[in-house]
Amino acid sequence: MTDCRLLIDPPAAGAWNMAVDEWLWHWAGKTGRWCLRFYRWEGPTLSLGYFQNHEDRQQHPPSLSCPVVRRISGGGAIVHDVEWTYSLAVPLKLPTNEPRANQTSEGLIVSRNSGCGRNMPRQWLYEVVHGTIVELLAHFGVHAQICGKVQEGKKAAALPFLCFQRRSPGDVLVGPIKVAGSAQRRNNDALLQHGSLLLARSLVAPELPGLKEIAGREFPFEFVLEVWLARLSDRLRLSWAEEQLSETERAAIDQLVLAKHNCPAWVIKRTRPELSMFFNS
Amino acid sequence: MKPEDLLFTKTHEWVHLTTNPTGETIATVGISAFALEALTDLVFIELPPVGRRVEAGGAFGEIESVKAVSDLYSPVNGEVVEVNTAVADRLDRIAEDPYGANWLVKIKVAGDVDRSTLLSYDEYQKQCAEESH
Repeated sequence: MTDCRLLIDPPAAGAWNMAVDEWLWHWAGKTGRWCLRFYRWEGPTLSLGYFQNHEDRQQHPPSLSCPVVRRISGGGAIVHDVEWTYSLAVPLKLPTNEPRANQTSEGLIVSRNSGCGRNMPRQWLYEVVHGTIVELLAHFGVHAQICGKVQEGKKAAALPFLCFQRRSPGDVLVGPIKVAGSAQRRNNDALLQHGSLLLARSLVAPELPGLKEIAGREFPFEFVLEVWLARLSDRLRLSWAEEQLSETERAAIDQLVLAKHNCPAWVIKRTRPELSMFFNS
Repeated sequence: MKPEDLLFTKTHEWVHLTTNPTGETIATVGISAFALEALTDLVFIELPPVGRRVEAGGAFGEIESVKAVSDLYSPVNGEVVEVNTAVADRLDRIAEDPYGANWLVKIKVAGDVDRSTLLSYDEYQKQCAEESH
């Protein structure tokens, strides 16, 4: 089993949530450790995909009153409200101070067998994590499936504004309705995958039904979490180590919020500040 | 250009080195056919402006496919002197000619090229074969 840091966070502001995910992505690359995080949002928040234009949010009037953040991952915009959000930070190579001999650890056997590590195919992680959501929903009596090939146009301008109105291979569908989707950010050192499981319809995204509307019942996360963690552990061969953010980490993330995720330059224009000071310490 | 005449990074960029009439080394850089096949369904690309300084192993651009944003890495140190902006309008067809019309940037090389970090075509093919298993 590979050791995986586990964070289960209380509701927080959008900029904080995005900064934590970015911090953990770099942390995974630097430490060679995995991290799984579950989190929620203080209030309904719109997150734009990395390349989306800020002015395109005008296409979705119901969410215009929501604060907006920009993700470092791709895909369409998400109205985060009655959902659980996860992020998974995966190292793509061992820390440079790790001796080569240690690469025979069980974690890297997983790497060779299932495509983890530096050459991990991006689609593989979507399908594994989303596969656990299908299993999770089956446990609660909801029949979901993984979206296969889609005929949707590839031109970015032709794609719907909202992620949950798009269909991509690997999305989790209940009938024709998308209930979970994820996006990724990748560099040489690490991969960040984060995604949302829609628990119920949001007042600020009324066109998107959630599991409550589909299944006619609530899905309290306390019940969901235990099953989901068990499925993720089994599929990814991970063992959980609950480890909250340290004061040092929180201070660095605070700075990242101020320097990037709360800044109009980033959210509106996608102008990136120089960040090496946050990640090289 | 034939891929056999190119050098490759471990991160799947290709580079073609030429010397211009004033003796400067120009590196033409693109994405390998193998990477394009793996990426599939490209929807966005961001390339640097002319004049941007880049470092070998450092990111010079970004690309999005299937909701995944990845960095593009420069094989050389230098300054961007030309950008193939037309590529952004034909991302769905970039794999049709990855080593020709769909180059990404031309970089005026600063200093010597560290060839020890680059792979020959045969070495790159071997890496791709390993990644495919």
